[in-house]
Amino acid sequence: MRHIQPYDTAFHNMKRKMPDRALSVTSFPLGAALRELRGRQRDVTERITMGRRELLRFGGLAVAGISVPGLLTACKAGSNPASKAGNVLRVTQPADATTLDPHKQGDLPSMNVLINIFDTLTVRDVNDRLVGGIAESWESVSPTTWRFHLRSGVTFHNGEPCDAAAVAYSLQRLIDPATKSPIVELRFVTKAKVVDARTVDVITSQPDPILPQKVSLFGGVIVPPKYIKEKGDAAFAANPVGTGPYVFQSWQRDNQIVLKANPKYWGGKPGVEQVTFKVMPDAASSLAALQSGGVDIVSQLSPDAAQQLGNGPGLKVVTSPGIRTFFVSIDTLSGGPLGKKEVRQALNMALDVPTLIKSVLNGAGQQTPTLIPHQSFGYDPSVQAFPYDLAKAKNLLAQAGYPNGFTTKLTASAVDKDMAQAISGQLAKIGVTASVSIMDAATFKQRLVSSNKQALGPMYFTGNTGWTMDAESNLQSFIRHDRRQSRWNNPQADKLIDTEEGSVDSATRKQAFTKLQQLLVDEAPFLFLYQARSLFAVNDRVQWKTNSNGTLAMASAKLT
Amino acid sequence: MSGDLTARSGGLTLPRIGDRALWSFVGRRIGHAVLVLFCVATVSFFLVRISGDPVRQMLPPDATAAQETALRAQLGLDQPLLGQYVSYMTGLLHLDLGQSLFFHRPAFDVIAERLPATVTLAAGALVVVLVVAIPAGVVSALRRGTATDTTVMAAVLVGQSAPAFFVGILLILVFAVNLQMLPASGMGGIENLVLPAVTLGLYSIAMVARLLRSSLVDVLGEDYIRTARAKGLTGWRIVTAHGLRNASLPVVTVVGLEIGNLLGGAILTEQVFAWPGVGRLTVEAVTYRDYPLMQATVMFLATVFVVVNLLVDLSYAALDPRVRLS
Repeated sequence: MRHIQPYDTAFHNMKRKMPDRALSVTSFPLGAALRELRGRQRDVTERITMGRRELLRFGGLAVAGISVPGLLTACKAGSNPASKAGNVLRVTQPADATTLDPHKQGDLPSMNVLINIFDTLTVRDVNDRLVGGIAESWESVSPTTWRFHLRSGVTFHNGEPCDAAAVAYSLQRLIDPATKSPIVELRFVTKAKVVDARTVDVITSQPDPILPQKVSLFGGVIVPPKYIKEKGDAAFAANPVGTGPYVFQSWQRDNQIVLKANPKYWGGKPGVEQVTFKVMPDAASSLAALQSGGVDIVSQLSPDAAQQLGNGPGLKVVTSPGIRTFFVSIDTLSGGPLGKKEVRQALNMALDVPTLIKSVLNGAGQQTPTLIPHQSFGYDPSVQAFPYDLAKAKNLLAQAGYPNGFTTKLTASAVDKDMAQAISGQLAKIGVTASVSIMDAATFKQRLVSSNKQALGPMYFTGNTGWTMDAESNLQSFIRHDRRQSRWNNPQADKLIDTEEGSVDSATRKQAFTKLQQLLVDEAPFLFLYQARSLFAVNDRVQWKTNSNGTLAMASAKLT
Repeated sequence: MSGDLTARSGGLTLPRIGDRALWSFVGRRIGHAVLVLFCVATVSFFLVRISGDPVRQMLPPDATAAQETALRAQLGLDQPLLGQYVSYMTGLLHLDLGQSLFFHRPAFDVIAERLPATVTLAAGALVVVLVVAIPAGVVSALRRGTATDTTVMAAVLVGQSAPAFFVGILLILVFAVNLQMLPASGMGGIENLVLPAVTLGLYSIAMVARLLRSSLVDVLGEDYIRTARAKGLTGWRIVTAHGLRNASLPVVTVVGLEIGNLLGGAILTEQVFAWPGVGRLTVEAVTYRDYPLMQATVMFLATVFVVVNLLVDLSYAALDPRVRLS
């Protein structure tokens, strides 16, 4: 922690350390010498302390001299410094992959790398359509059986065939408790059964309407059975072999992962020879790397950073629609004002969401009437978001018995502090004082996932990504009263959740989702906010597009 | 050294390998070290366990209670605390730091593969520190009270006061973005080491330079320096053979402690320069509440400091012949 430690503390610690050392050596004559030394050290300390005052006078001048303004201007115009990298695409992520065994990870930084080495059964294409991957087509043959018809002629990078046996093995490996997989999407899958060389049946314990969506990312990665059985899990994680567009080359932890184009890829050889995923935790330095030509794509850009970068010469910020929705969870169960529907409606009406998006996110978002993003299955465009209406909000508060408002608390992670403060500011206009409590991201998450549903107080700001792009994923943890992050108890909502989760008929599900959304905008158990766009900074030699999931699939990327 | 007049400026007196006193000293210090490490292990074991629950952290929010129970059992976290403690300490005795919960690999391996990066960066920074601090300290001491002295000391103070995320970004903007002389970040060739080593080293330069300056000023006022001057030695020889040698003792202490800091305290520098070292790993371990990895990084840092301290103590004997390890 040295750079945080002020000079005085550092020196104080050192001074404190000296007597300790002397104590530990007093039993032998060295003690005398050290005591002498310690005496000298103290003199030195005093002298330095005296000298500091005079030095401080000059310190100020020197600091002023550092910020030579000319040096701080952005990238020089002219030839693109990145072009000397050749046909190599360099992409940054703020965090490293945790493991390259696709069944033993559950995080986006790992998945972003893995989707380039492996294929999934189904795929979300750049237009968000669910299309074939290793599976060409699929159908529900009974409420608890999904049948997948596989693509022929697909082989792993080591030449091993990717057939029904490999697919069945992969799904079985994922659900095997011995794998300790953090992936939970396949929780209803009991068995994957080979029907013939190109057909696999996936059997579930209860109807799973969105199984084909669930195998488009984390749940559906296909791994080579023979290779894993021969080499073992650890060797597989160290040298992953898949069927994907790129072949694994090397991984230096927390630095970079290098992949080479797979010339035999069933979807055609990628246009880029090499993809390098670089780990850059600091936003400012990854943008500097982009400006200096060290990288080509910076992912997971914050709106702040995007605005800072602007559209400099040779650089641009690209966005994808994004499906991560943000909202404020309200504790409706502990009584008080937040237990009243009118109060919760009033809070929603006090929020001017378009202004929040414009001012805090620099426009990189879209209002959502409930928790469901616009692109997801089940989203009903006829359900209207709460109008911004301060007069009506005040009326509702008065009706509920709080004409002068009330005091509450809004908790948020440090990364969302600006948004939380803006929300609190808007609520103040109807007399509601929501004091903002900011926590570091790790502590916030710790409390969010704890079994104590009050751990984050009466209101907290959070987000959720339903990457299956089915509303089920957006609602499953938050609505039914027994779910981990639900703070609402509504029997009608519980019943509708059971309907959409238990039926494979899309018309039935769609209807249940519509009723759920209508119920949500009536009961207002959350403050409904927006879905955020994914932001990427790229240089102008990159041609690449991603889907709403915002994953870093580079199969179709090109460099000019 | 026939012309030397004092015992202080004699040659290096390295402790002899056969010296029983040396070995009894080392033995005692190793005994202390084991005790310190035992305490560190115990305290860190219980501290990390009150910091939060890794199981819920690892599972996605929609995991079921059954999945949670299963994972808890698989990780051995359903065992009584005391049982976990005993098995952890038994593992330590076998140099087994446990299995990282997040990386699914032995915590020792996870740290070991980041160690080369950390050592490289610390070594680079140490070179920067010595190359800048020694001349700065000497020049300031010789030009004591002059504008040169004030300027040099002010400059090193600025280096110490400026935080890594500020200095680091500034260096990146100047040398990578504008001048395009050096890579902005990441680990690779020697050119990748320059900016992070300078950033990391800047903090320690001031401490070493100022201590050396004061110590040297002190020494240069001693009688034996006057004697050396009187017998006609050149200024340069007086400073190097008589001044620096005698002024170096407190500096060695500080440099030793700074080596510990450079190895263990590069978190911000590693963050800014995307340097794959142990510092970032420590932050990750805390973020993921990865108990075994948190404990392992703490043990690693404790070991570094204990070893560095031992080496510093031994180096006294080498530098000052009056110091005897008996």
